[in-house]
Amino acid sequence: MDISSPAAFVNGGLLRMHVGRKVRTVLQVIRSDIASVMGKSTDGFQVVAKGSPPVPLTSYVEVIGVAENENTIRAELWTNFGDTFDGSNYDQLCRLANGEFKHLFL
Amino acid sequence: MFSSSQFDAASAFSGGGFMPSQSSQFANSTPSQSRDTQGLLPVTVKQISEASRSGDEKPNFIIDGVHVNNVKVIGMLFNKNVRSSDVRFDLDDGTGRVECRRWVTESVDTREMDALEEGIYVRVIGHLQSFQGKTQLNVFSARPVTNFDEVTCHFIECIYCHLQNSKGQLEGGAVAQPQMTDSSLSTPVWGASNRNQPASMNNASVQYTTDGFKGFDKLVLNYLQQPANIDREMGVHLNELSQQLKAPIEKIKDAIEFLEREGLVYSSIDDYHYKAVEGC
Repeated sequence: MDISSPAAFVNGGLLRMHVGRKVRTVLQVIRSDIASVMGKSTDGFQVVAKGSPPVPLTSYVEVIGVAENENTIRAELWTNFGDTFDGSNYDQLCRLANGEFKHLFL
Repeated sequence: MFSSSQFDAASAFSGGGFMPSQSSQFANSTPSQSRDTQGLLPVTVKQISEASRSGDEKPNFIIDGVHVNNVKVIGMLFNKNVRSSDVRFDLDDGTGRVECRRWVTESVDTREMDALEEGIYVRVIGHLQSFQGKTQLNVFSARPVTNFDEVTCHFIECIYCHLQNSKGQLEGGAVAQPQMTDSSLSTPVWGASNRNQPASMNNASVQYTTDGFKGFDKLVLNYLQQPANIDREMGVHLNELSQQLKAPIEKIKDAIEFLEREGLVYSSIDDYHYKAVEGC
């Protein structure tokens, strides 16, 4: 059992609260190259994930990594979340997980 | 009571479902026995890490005041270690990591575990246990997540169940207490004092049992408790209750459901015939 390095659920707006720490978010891919993905966060912000994205990429991709600044994540883990992911549900979860129910997550 | 609108799955199958709706509130009225009505609780690893333990010989985990045995966790699988009789791995759900062990005895188990690759999202259902001082999950089922909305859904379920259970706690102090005094007098299990009362047992108990009841529940119970009806082997049909008491069938069903939960009536030959429990 190890809870020393949790990854906070974030959307674009919440990213700034976690700069320098481990985060997880889901991005809708706008464009990608070999070393980064530019995507739209579930609350509509543009977020860049740096690292080595999987090939092929689906429309939605989850990245887990360290928040470099308020719109960049240095991604360590990438997971394709498919083409039909429900971003608004995820966005609500991010709010709950950073608000009233933070103690269940961090 | 089985009309779909009123059917309460959680209390009917208490122990089976993982949504602790009604049953958890009921748990508060009889703390000694039904605190562990949680069949399967969706949790985060953080919650597991904060679970308190009770019992020395067989440790029990308590999350939000509820005894927890079986849990559902969704996270990424790491450090998979295949051995001759078991497969061990770490599950990281973003809130923490927990060690898991899946015993592999049959080819089905082997196939299921073979499908799990390093780093993929896995839905794990298992039994929480403490082994050599460490908390680990004894896994029954570990399957890859294919629809990733399930990940979102899982964490929302965690929040929901946390809310339900902790709300039950708060209310438990205020609401369940009076319930307990009522049921201690009315249900046959607790109502030993009832049995000591000789002759006019029926009347006496009616007085007892009706204390906390709404007027209509009392009417239904009184009808079922009439000696003539007690003697009827098949019990009384809901329609008959409806006709005799001049009330809509839905209202009868509500009352019956309540009385059944209180342990005062039971269904006899089918779900439409009810009898009053004798001697209460």
